Amino acid sequence: MPSIKYTYFDGRGLGEVNRVMLAAGGMKYEDVRLHESKWAGMKSATPMGELPLLEVDGTTICQSNSIARYIAREAGLAGKTSIDQAKVDMIMEGARSLFDKAAQIFILPEAEKAVRKKKLEEKEAPELLEYLNKLASGKGYFVGDQLTAADVALYVNYESVGSLTIALPSLDKYPNLKKVAENVKANPGIAKWLKERPVTTY
Amino acid sequence: MPTYKLTYFKARGVAEFARLLFAAGGLEYEDVRVEGEQWQQLKPKTPMGQLPILEVDGAMICQSKAIGRLIAKKIGMAGKTDLEAARADMITDGLEDLIGLKMSFFFTEKDENKKEEKKKEFVEKILPSALDLFEKLASAEGYFVGNSLTWADVNFFSLFNGFINRFIPGDHLKNHVNLNKVMGNVSSNPGIAKWLKERPETQF
Repeated sequence: MPSIKYTYFDGRGLGEVNRVMLAAGGMKYEDVRLHESKWAGMKSATPMGELPLLEVDGTTICQSNSIARYIAREAGLAGKTSIDQAKVDMIMEGARSLFDKAAQIFILPEAEKAVRKKKLEEKEAPELLEYLNKLASGKGYFVGDQLTAADVALYVNYESVGSLTIALPSLDKYPNLKKVAENVKANPGIAKWLKERPVTTY
Repeated sequence: MPTYKLTYFKARGVAEFARLLFAAGGLEYEDVRVEGEQWQQLKPKTPMGQLPILEVDGAMICQSKAIGRLIAKKIGMAGKTDLEAARADMITDGLEDLIGLKMSFFFTEKDENKKEEKKKEFVEKILPSALDLFEKLASAEGYFVGNSLTWADVNFFSLFNGFINRFIPGDHLKNHVNLNKVMGNVSSNPGIAKWLKERPETQF
């Protein structure tokens, strides 16, 4: 079993999906959380000057989505066939786009922020969640009938957007997505992590 | 032998690297281009209300990177090991950050003065430092992953030509030996060279 070291800031943000998947796969890893001041010194030594980073087998991988896909494969959550894998990929991209939109709004000046926040909350997010709801099964899985990285990505991104003070519609409106969230939370490794993980503001 | 049907707008845009990959792998596919009313009718039938979509084996896949990865795996250009695949993925994601995110003002900024300001910052600071970064990630032989063409190289070519050169003409790669090699390796792939000569001319 290669040793795995995962580095991100001390928060959930776009780094959390990987911690949750490592937990789902029962994979041991070093959960390194950097303070901003420490990061400044390390930045230029990383592949793209960004976090998170995954170090495994002497290789460093950056880009949280790419890390997520690698962990998903190792943890058996990537989908069985090429097409299943493509479906998992597309859901992960879609779920992540929700977080990306919210994060972009966060850094805007106040006046623009309010307008964009309203648009996300009232139009863009409900539309995307509606599409995603149709893509999930009644049993609460995006692909096949077992947990994949797609389900995990939906849950973690939804949760993270909430932390950015964006008022997303409740999952009660999206019965299939609600089941997806329940399935994710019920996975033993994930349930344990959700209970034990450090509490952070984002 | 599965049949592939790729649907996008009448443009290169973010679907072009998929078309380049089909060409590189010599894979037959139906290259469908829609607009206006056609698109409005198709939209609710797509997985997420967006293009491109790829239809294969009764499945409909959206999200350009998911599509690209599927084709790349099919034609053996996704990386030889799991870690190589992750590296190809991370290069692709990084390119999307550069083009999709940092260049998005080109398409969304309505204020001409602000746009000029952002363009100046992009051309003088953001683009050069990103290219320096990608230069380090590419090998002297001109490959981002291992020592053969992967979809990471094709993506770089497609995004660089389709977005950077298209909207900000200039000799941006003059100091980037490795990146020039990447561009050369992609454009000299026989399938890709043929497609580049024959593809429909579109504004964007």
